[in-house]
Amino acid sequence: MTSLRAIRPFLAPGLLALASLFMTSIATAGAPADDSRSGSWALTVAQATPTPEVPLESAPPLPTPIAHPGDASSTGCVDCHSKVDNRQAAIADEWRASVHAKEGVGCADCHGGDPTSDEITVGMAEAGGFQGVPGRDETVALCGSCHANADRMRPYQVATDQYSKYYSSVHGQRLLIARDERVAICSDCHGAHGVKPASDPTADVYPLNVPALCASCHADAAKMQPYGIPTDQYDVYKLSIHGTQLLEEQDLRAPTCASCHGSHAAKPPRSDEVVAVCGQCHTATQALYEESAHARLEGVGPKCWTCHGTHDVSEPDERLFLHEGGVPDYLCATCHSATDQSLRLEMDRFEQESDRRCDTCHHERSLIYSQVEAIAGAIGGARDAYDTALHRIDDAAALGMIVTDADVAAQEARTELIKARAAVHTTKLTTISALTDAALAKSAAAQDLANAKLAESDFRREAMVIVIALISLNVLVLVWLRRRLHATS
Amino acid sequence: MTAGAKSEEGPGGVLGWVENRLHLAPFIGALLHVRIPANAKTFYLGGITLFLFGIQVVTGTLLALYYSPTPEAAYESVLSITSDVQFGWLIRSVHHWAANLMLLFLVLHLLRIFVQAAYKYPREITWIVGGGLLLITIGFGFTGYLLPWDQRAYWATVVGTEIAGDVPVIGSSLLLLLRGGAEVSEATLARFFGIHVLVLPLLLGGLVALHLLFVHQQGLANPSRAEARPGRVTAPQPPDKLKPFFPDYILDEVIAWYAVLAGLVILASLFPAGLEPKADPLVTPEHIKPEWYFLAVYQLLKLVPETVGVVAPVALVMIIVLLPLLDRNEEIRPRRRPIALGLALVLLVAMAVLTYFGGRV
Repeated sequence: MTSLRAIRPFLAPGLLALASLFMTSIATAGAPADDSRSGSWALTVAQATPTPEVPLESAPPLPTPIAHPGDASSTGCVDCHSKVDNRQAAIADEWRASVHAKEGVGCADCHGGDPTSDEITVGMAEAGGFQGVPGRDETVALCGSCHANADRMRPYQVATDQYSKYYSSVHGQRLLIARDERVAICSDCHGAHGVKPASDPTADVYPLNVPALCASCHADAAKMQPYGIPTDQYDVYKLSIHGTQLLEEQDLRAPTCASCHGSHAAKPPRSDEVVAVCGQCHTATQALYEESAHARLEGVGPKCWTCHGTHDVSEPDERLFLHEGGVPDYLCATCHSATDQSLRLEMDRFEQESDRRCDTCHHERSLIYSQVEAIAGAIGGARDAYDTALHRIDDAAALGMIVTDADVAAQEARTELIKARAAVHTTKLTTISALTDAALAKSAAAQDLANAKLAESDFRREAMVIVIALISLNVLVLVWLRRRLHATS
Repeated sequence: MTAGAKSEEGPGGVLGWVENRLHLAPFIGALLHVRIPANAKTFYLGGITLFLFGIQVVTGTLLALYYSPTPEAAYESVLSITSDVQFGWLIRSVHHWAANLMLLFLVLHLLRIFVQAAYKYPREITWIVGGGLLLITIGFGFTGYLLPWDQRAYWATVVGTEIAGDVPVIGSSLLLLLRGGAEVSEATLARFFGIHVLVLPLLLGGLVALHLLFVHQQGLANPSRAEARPGRVTAPQPPDKLKPFFPDYILDEVIAWYAVLAGLVILASLFPAGLEPKADPLVTPEHIKPEWYFLAVYQLLKLVPETVGVVAPVALVMIIVLLPLLDRNEEIRPRRRPIALGLALVLLVAMAVLTYFGGRV
């Protein structure tokens, strides 16, 4: 104990130094933590104190909620402040529209004072408990004093772990350890006076609005400059399959920033967490991946990001198998540590979408390369058969034929093709081939049905010519009769 | 009975057997052996419309043998008619195209009568009955459109009945009457089917008989000379040059029917009636468009307030039906009726433009 007391003065600086060693994932905004970068990034973030990957300090104790006379129906504050100036009036309006106003949380719950009084000397008297505008470092505790209180939140069925989660986040850790007040606090995302639930489409924290909310800081080069982290994530995300689904298709199933990074516990997922994070939605794919040779490599094996990227995830297809136009220049360092030749995938090697290919790692003379070729061939063949069936169905539909049965067969072929593509994550040729064979059989059935429709259409046209010829013959006879009639009359 | 006796007494065989009992020859003779103005230009439009109605009766009866008027089975039965039943596709496609052509030829017939002023004395009632036939034919289109119970059918009916619901005063009652409930449902399909295959055919058959009876009684109008009115003194005119209705006119009419039949066969073969996905009340299509003959009203509703958009077409139809009572000008030559023809032209152009833009979506 004596020795502990002796080192206490050095504890905080020591922890900060330790934090700099762990500075691997500081606000990489989605990129899986990459140990290889820590060196270079540590240099570029010299202006800001590094934030540790593992929380070094847990959340501080919660303060007691502010006590005051009256309740939210005591409008002494609003009566005066809404008349002070436009800004104050806007604040009053924001509060009136907020979930707090609806649930009886008033001015004094955050600012203290006496809301029952119309007298400034009473209502805003420090002696009466008035606290004014809380500082940024005090705001989290102020929100937490209610929101981390299970008894207080029970009527609303709202989670109470945001406070502890926040302090486990990159934001919270920086605020706590480095006293960095530039990081996001509760009011930056939820607003101060106009707090709305995340289910409200007008709220900044509504899923469709979350990417823009995060981007309001993370796409701001000036704000991010001290941390030396990229600012293009939002632009890249917007063009990704996730971004287009969420922002263009308004598909709330698509992930926002918070889906992968967390909201209150915002932090980039580590490389060994990525499979679980993506697997939250891609459950079946995750299960298939777990069967693969890649998964058996555990921490050092390729993960989702290796082939699909991070913020720029695009719709996968057969291009992901092999480089077009020949194999790449193989470098040992692509996959192996320069020091001990152990397996080590460097993230920057897969930064470019065009580098996310099986043969980026698997040498063309390797056995696995030929297996990749076989898998690519099987998938490509199944896809071609499916496309051909679709073209035949389109041809028949364009001729006005009803192709419902062929559509059903094509749908079944598509299901098998999707299953085969997903099975690529197992890296097992036999599993994939069984599914591509099924896809080929279904595609052939669909194509046969479409061909039958095309043959039927041909028959109709030929029959039409015969019928028109018969009608014409009848008309000729009638015209002849008519002439005879006119001649005789 | 000897052969000589047969020739004196009339036709033998079955016809003779029937004639000996019913004595129909004078009646049929009175129907057929009439004379019409030699310069009458009907373009055979009314007869073609009647021919198409006959096709609808035949093909509709065949379709009804396989059709099931319930939301659960309607779509599948139409799919089966189109895909499985021998020549079902042909019967359905002919029914589909004949419905469109019937309305088209009916409107052309109406325009012919209008331009030739054949709705004026003494044929006012014939025109008004014809107006009723127009309304019934539109009713056929509206009720028949729902029967396939696919997405297009369902949603066009949702929109169509909602438009009816916007009629002032009686709108909500009319909506309830058409749908048989708050939504387009099983009740709507049942009553649309009943109206389509029973009520409207009986009404149309009755009115057609009446229409033809009037035409027979009054004869075809002479497009170059107004009918003499009783009690009016007019300059004596040479008698109309006439030609026999049978067989001369009938022969021409049958040739026209053959031409239309050929057109029907071509349309049904090259552009068979399609089928969209089954009706799903929970999936609203991006664009809901009615049949071409409702496109003008559909487009009008986008441009004007709802009440105007609903009342204006209803008022227009009423004006058309009651035209002989409103247009008291006795002149029949087109060049002497610039206002009537000018208004009709403006109306036609407006409807064509609205139809074009309505169909562009």
